[in-house]
Amino acid sequence: MIFLNINNLNVSIDGKKIIDNFNLNINQGEIHAIMGPNGSGKSTLANVLAGNEDYEIISGKIIFKDHNLLDLNIEERAKLGIFLAFQYPVEIPGVNITPFLHASLNSKLKNQKKEEIDSLSFAKLLRKKAEELSISSDMLKRSINTGFSGGEKKRYEILQMSVLNPEFTIFDETDSGLDVDALKIVTEGINKFKNKNNSYLIITHYQKLLDYIKPDFVHVMRNGKIVKSGNISLASEIEKSGYKNF
Amino acid sequence: MNFQENFNNHLKQYIFSNDNYLLKERQKIFNKINLNKFDKKNNESLKNISISDLSSFNYFYQPSKEKPTLEISEKNVYQINLVNGKCPDYKDENIEIRNILIKDIELFKSNNQKDTNDIVADLNLVFLNSGILIDVNQKSKIKICLNYKAEKDFTIFQHNFFNFFKNSEVIIEENFYLTENTINNIYYNINIEENSKIKHNIFQDFASSNKLLLTSNTTCAKKSSFSQNSYNFSKGFVRNFHNAKLNGVFSKASLKGCFLLKDDNVCSNKTHITHNAENCESDQKYKGILNNISKANYYSNTFVSKNAQKTEGYQLSKGILLSDKCSFFSKPELRIFADDVKCSHGSTIGPVDENSLYYLRSRGINKKQAMKMIISSFIKDDLIDLDKKNIDRINKNLTQYLSTI
Ligand SMILES: Nc1ncnc2c1ncn2[C@@H]1O[C@H](COP(=O)(O)OP(=O)(O)O)[C@@H](O)[C@H]1O
Ligand SMILES: [Mg+2]
Repeated sequence: MIFLNINNLNVSIDGKKIIDNFNLNINQGEIHAIMGPNGSGKSTLANVLAGNEDYEIISGKIIFKDHNLLDLNIEERAKLGIFLAFQYPVEIPGVNITPFLHASLNSKLKNQKKEEIDSLSFAKLLRKKAEELSISSDMLKRSINTGFSGGEKKRYEILQMSVLNPEFTIFDETDSGLDVDALKIVTEGINKFKNKNNSYLIITHYQKLLDYIKPDFVHVMRNGKIVKSGNISLASEIEKSGYKNF
Repeated sequence: MNFQENFNNHLKQYIFSNDNYLLKERQKIFNKINLNKFDKKNNESLKNISISDLSSFNYFYQPSKEKPTLEISEKNVYQINLVNGKCPDYKDENIEIRNILIKDIELFKSNNQKDTNDIVADLNLVFLNSGILIDVNQKSKIKICLNYKAEKDFTIFQHNFFNFFKNSEVIIEENFYLTENTINNIYYNINIEENSKIKHNIFQDFASSNKLLLTSNTTCAKKSSFSQNSYNFSKGFVRNFHNAKLNGVFSKASLKGCFLLKDDNVCSNKTHITHNAENCESDQKYKGILNNISKANYYSNTFVSKNAQKTEGYQLSKGILLSDKCSFFSKPELRIFADDVKCSHGSTIGPVDENSLYYLRSRGINKKQAMKMIISSFIKDDLIDLDKKNIDRINKNLTQYLSTI
């Protein structure tokens, strides 16, 4: 099975090319990191993988679990096992966290022809996972991201990941804007729910996160393409002297 | 029938038609309207209304065989079942209910000589044929359900007076059981005395051949509060024009409404709050969801008079547009003559937020379901205060509405 293969991908928005002949292969169980200066197209890549319809795919191919990903819409991709932890999670007042996530999980289970989970068992499951992330049960009664602090929003993204157990998760700057304590909670959360069968793409500016999570590969992205690939030592190089050498 | 014919032919059917004073007033108003020929320019009361509905309807009102009734099924809960604007007479230690008398209208008219430029309110007096008066005694804590029934083809022009005496606490709930092809033009004078707390919930969910035009004028005395919510789920035309005057210090008024429109349905909304005293709070908020070629408007107004320092006044209109051809016109107005005030207004009208949709869909929720989640949350935001029966009712209407998007 091909797990994830991005082949010669070209993407533009409003006529401006943002992803330029992009290639990447990720196997099951691998952790990849992408680093790159602001504006290099990292979030665009993440959104294209998740199925955001604002972008124009000029050419290229993405295979995920032997499916032609570009043929699937946003929710079909999610049900197939793609999860994007957003750089800026949106606040949705009035849509309560618990029933929303319950519906998400059930739509996924249904898609896998598995039995759906009832509200009571789901509430239990959610509380347990929330506890592991130091999310209070009060927060589970609130509306999606509404009035959450930066750290809470990111923790809530991790919570959703842990409940939905996606095979491929993209973290888009999940570490940005967090203080040391919040970063610790989030990285510990990721480590706790990380498992060998699943794959991860971590978009970040900082080595710190990668020290905790230990990627198998690190890529440097500039102007919409990968300009260098290597291991964790690439991250230290960037930490020391920035992106000017790439 | 044209306007003149309606006026002439049915003069005999008016209540109080033998009263000279009223006859003159009616003639005066009639002439004014007739002269202006329902000119829509600068007249908010005519926005989105078809003039023929106002002028050339078929006036019809006659005594009914069915009698209005009153039930007190639970302690302090009064169910008043009106028939064509008539109520039963009733009195106990909490409440007095009766049909209006000529002196009520005369008193109202002599106190309200100023032209409000509201044609619908004017027509209410010209064609007036019914009305009820409710006095709630001091310290009474009660709930009143007004169930309006209008028989087929009736045109009801009704003027209601509600008086809430000092320290009363009342929930007043209104339901409209309109049969077919009815016009219901209802005008309210609501008087809230010191320290009273009044909740006014208006449920509007009737069939498309009916029309409901509401106008309310509420005055709030010292430390009183008035909270009005209209829920418009009707398939027929609804007008909600509601005014409140905060005349006593530390009083509060909230005029809110929501509506679900589809097909070629129309609704017209206006709220106006006048701050005449210090330390008062007001809130005006209408929100709606529109689909197909439906149309809505919302005028909101805050007026703060010179002496009304420490005023807080908020206005908001929110709309979700589900099609390219529906429209929601919103116009907030603020006139402030005091200097120590906190006032704001806002308006967000547009399609369902794309980012919210993307977020929900990226978690595996399909597009339609995601739309429904966002839309229901938009309406449910404000339902905290309702009892289970009414929440169920709103959910039912919402589900019905959402099933067609
Ligand atoms: N919705 C959009 N409309 C217009 N330009 C966009 C949009 N999204 C991204 N861009 C542009 O695409 C480029 C890459 O952005 P992005 O993918 O957010 O970069 P990164 O995440 O690496 O900082 C930037 O120049 C940005 O201005
Ligand atoms: Mg980014």
